[in-house]
Amino acid sequence: MAKKNSEHSRPMTRRKFLSNLAAVSTGAVGLPAWAQQKSSKTGTVRVWGEPGPYAGVAVDAMNEWAKKFAPGLAFKLETLSWDSVYVKLMTDLAARNPAHCISVESPIAYQLMADLLLEPLDDVVEKVGRNRLVDGVKWEYWGAWKGKQYVLPAHHQPHLLVVRMDVINELGLGDPDKWDWNDLRNAARTVSEKKKDMAGISLALGRNLCTDYHFAALLHSAGGRMFDPANKYQVVFDSPETVEALEYVKSLQPYMPKGAVSYSFLEVVDSIVTGRAAISFYWGRPYGRAAEENKTVFASLQSFNHARHPKTGRRSNWNDFQGWCIPRPNNQYVAEVKAALAYYQTSPQWLVRYCHSLMPNVSPTYKDVLNDPTLATHPFFQTKKETIMNYYVNSLAHSSSTGNEMLKGVNPLAGVVHGRSILAQTVQKVAVDNWKAADAAKWGARELEQVRKENLRLLGGAA
Amino acid sequence: MNTLGVLRQVVAYLVLLVVTFLICFPLIWALSTSLKAPKDVMATPPQLLPPQPTLENYRNLVTGKQQYFRADQSYVPTTAAPQHFMSWFGNSVVVSLGSTAISILISTLAAYSVTRFRYWGRRIVPYFSLLGYMVPSIILVFPLFLVMTELRLTNSLWSLTFGYVSITLPFCMWLLWAFFRSIPIELEEAAMIDGASRLRVFIDIVLPSAAPGIIAAAIFSLIVSWNDFLFARVFINSIENLPLTVGVMHFFEGTHVDWGLMMAAAVLMTVPMAILFMLMQRHLVAGFGAGAVKG
Amino acid sequence: MPFAVAALVFMVYPVAEAVRLAFYHYNPLNPDGTNFAGLDNFRAIAADPLFWQSFRQAAVWTACSIVLQTAIGVALALLLHLPLRGISIFRGLLLFPYIVPTVVIALILQWMLNADVGVVNWSLRGAGLIDENVYWLASPGLAMLSTIALNVWKYTPFVTICVLARLQTIPLELYDAAKVDGAGTFRRFADITLPQLADVLAVVVIFRTIWTFNKFEEIYLLTRGGPGTSTFNLAIYSFEQSVASLKLGVGAATGVVMMGLLFVGSLVYVRVFRFDEEPSQ
Repeated sequence: MAKKNSEHSRPMTRRKFLSNLAAVSTGAVGLPAWAQQKSSKTGTVRVWGEPGPYAGVAVDAMNEWAKKFAPGLAFKLETLSWDSVYVKLMTDLAARNPAHCISVESPIAYQLMADLLLEPLDDVVEKVGRNRLVDGVKWEYWGAWKGKQYVLPAHHQPHLLVVRMDVINELGLGDPDKWDWNDLRNAARTVSEKKKDMAGISLALGRNLCTDYHFAALLHSAGGRMFDPANKYQVVFDSPETVEALEYVKSLQPYMPKGAVSYSFLEVVDSIVTGRAAISFYWGRPYGRAAEENKTVFASLQSFNHARHPKTGRRSNWNDFQGWCIPRPNNQYVAEVKAALAYYQTSPQWLVRYCHSLMPNVSPTYKDVLNDPTLATHPFFQTKKETIMNYYVNSLAHSSSTGNEMLKGVNPLAGVVHGRSILAQTVQKVAVDNWKAADAAKWGARELEQVRKENLRLLGGAA
Repeated sequence: MNTLGVLRQVVAYLVLLVVTFLICFPLIWALSTSLKAPKDVMATPPQLLPPQPTLENYRNLVTGKQQYFRADQSYVPTTAAPQHFMSWFGNSVVVSLGSTAISILISTLAAYSVTRFRYWGRRIVPYFSLLGYMVPSIILVFPLFLVMTELRLTNSLWSLTFGYVSITLPFCMWLLWAFFRSIPIELEEAAMIDGASRLRVFIDIVLPSAAPGIIAAAIFSLIVSWNDFLFARVFINSIENLPLTVGVMHFFEGTHVDWGLMMAAAVLMTVPMAILFMLMQRHLVAGFGAGAVKG
Repeated sequence: MPFAVAALVFMVYPVAEAVRLAFYHYNPLNPDGTNFAGLDNFRAIAADPLFWQSFRQAAVWTACSIVLQTAIGVALALLLHLPLRGISIFRGLLLFPYIVPTVVIALILQWMLNADVGVVNWSLRGAGLIDENVYWLASPGLAMLSTIALNVWKYTPFVTICVLARLQTIPLELYDAAKVDGAGTFRRFADITLPQLADVLAVVVIFRTIWTFNKFEEIYLLTRGGPGTSTFNLAIYSFEQSVASLKLGVGAATGVVMMGLLFVGSLVYVRVFRFDEEPSQ
């Protein structure tokens, strides 16, 4: 870091920054022997990724590998919107024609690996470096099953408490980092009451993945879970903690924008960036958009770990632990994909570029990338360093996932749960249909029982 | 009721204008939005006439310009890219024309054969057609998808073409059967006695008389194939092979919704149908009138 | 002759497959694990409250749509029947909504009904009819209304054309005779026009009901069946079962139920149609 400090007395512009990177990456480091194996195969290697520029960066890296070692191959990115992952997965797998490489959130990866649809990647892990992970995470968070690693980390992506500090300070609502659930609700109420045209808090309540993810964080903070991996994956959803989480959402609802019952990812980001909500749960995306569209919002936006649950003290967030996996059936490019992935993941330049492509949405997973001096040259580090560090590092202590609830054990059923939007539907029973939280929890538990019953094969004899 | 009082006429015209406006308003609004610059699209209160009309959205669609999402003063490509728009357009054209051609071919010949020859089962064909027509596509889509999987046709335009034949064929059969039934056989018989072959008779005598029906059926097929969403959604996986209907839904991806671009796509998607409609209007109405009411 | 066979194959085979699928457990992620299910799928849907909710909502949706389409359709037809100059232009514009792809009108409506920047809310506020923005697509009741509106917009012209065609065949002498008898406009309508239209309306209503009950795109593209499940109908239920729950067998079973209802509907149609063939009056 010392070397670079003397170079910026003012924030570096993006163009200069990218040209620096280009200079660095073209002088490629000498490659180890295993990475120099060539392949003579031809064709297109299909890579799936979620919406966002970062998957494109990874594919660019893989194509660089291809140019050098497999000139007949071209890696091509196909983007799946979050809501269409299941449709595409289903149709492609049914057509016995899945992609050759998939970048996917951990719940789906867990489902695929438990269904023995993925290629084990332990050899790639060795090449990438088993000790390279940042502190506070384990390889299995991304996807390990029965002793084998099936998923390589692409990034991790928690959602945090996103706050408009100007509004908070104006209304004297204290330091969001110290809030608990009551403080959060109080803040939301105050904003709604005192500010015209602004809702206190914006959460997703539609029947979609975003709602699942928002609710999961609250559920885990309260101490509740869907399944218990230590006990044959029994459904433990019908619990006082679940009821409490549901009731909390319901109590926040009056302070949400009125359209929240149909909100998904896009609408929540919109509500933050257009200034229609003061608080939200979100990943890093709003910063990029606000920087472009609404500088006032950008200037005052900050992210913190979530509000503490008053009794348990937990500040759980939902972290996607997104990774790369290789489907096994009908995949003729397994070796090539493995080599390309290894190439890209052993190149700090590409990994830094990956993170820079959408700040601070995608967080680095390897120590050397996190500490790489070029990482901090991104202009956002000037004004949003604390926020970035919260996403990159400080969130990990509180990370949780629906596929690995409270990091107490992987459960492969989460993918199916998300496919049917069971958590979102449970929330909607309370938020839209006005059921009692206890009844909704029971309904949700029944649905989860169904999922468990129909997918016993995924639990691999553990059930 | 030959002459109406002037007042009545004025009132009638007014009502007609209002109704027409209401019917056409959605498309007028779409057109208006598509001609606005991005900042005007989201401006409130919304105005009907674009303050600074621009063809930027259309240019982006036609040239397939990549959309960019600016993050901290740099450009990063987003996924809501209009770069595939022209391929979607092409796909829609190919699939619509293809399935219509096949449908018309089969139904014309089948209808002719059913009404002119005698063999077992010819009576049931029209009734099956009617039933087939009433089966909604949602019921057929997954079984057909499985068939396509077996034939390894998924994700290709052929799957859509054959799929659409399945849904358009029933109506074409029904319509053409009714038409052929009403064409008197005597003319053909007379010509055949004079020595003309059946094929000649078919081409010279029967086809011209059946032309209105064939045109109506063709128009119907084109419209159904062009407008379908469900089959394309399920059968096609890769973004370049999509037809327009599913393709434009991809503009919802990513983190922005560019309504100007969407509305421009909506307008461009409707234009071919509108042109077809204007050219063939009379035939369409006649066809429906005959097929649906007379039965 | 072979073409007739081809026609039959294209038309019948998919339907047969659809029915067959209803009797199997099919999971697309694991296609080789298909097994016979007997009536399990049917039992499953009968036990699913969402199925019955979808059914109820489909019935309500269909009833409202049909009533509106018929009322507006007839009114429009009467209007277009008037001997005004240039009326043929208006008649020409009539079928326009039918040819617009559902995707297009759904997108446009989503844009227009957008609660914050949509033109509908702004116009209503401007006219002083509402105070705050209405969430057309986010409130269960209003979402249903919005989808009905789409359906009415798209298919009323269909009704109008059929009615108009029939109107044009009503002999004018009947009206003249009535006028001579001193009957006013309304009486003329009720006693002459309506009965003549009865047979057309019967046909149209039945056809429209059969189709509307099973419509998929009009609802799905606007609300995806939401908010919650308040705008689900059987078609969407079937789709969700196949896609979201990956239970193609159940989706197909729903399809079979839908076909059964269709069949009943068409029997009714045939009855009316036969009745209609006898010489009237």
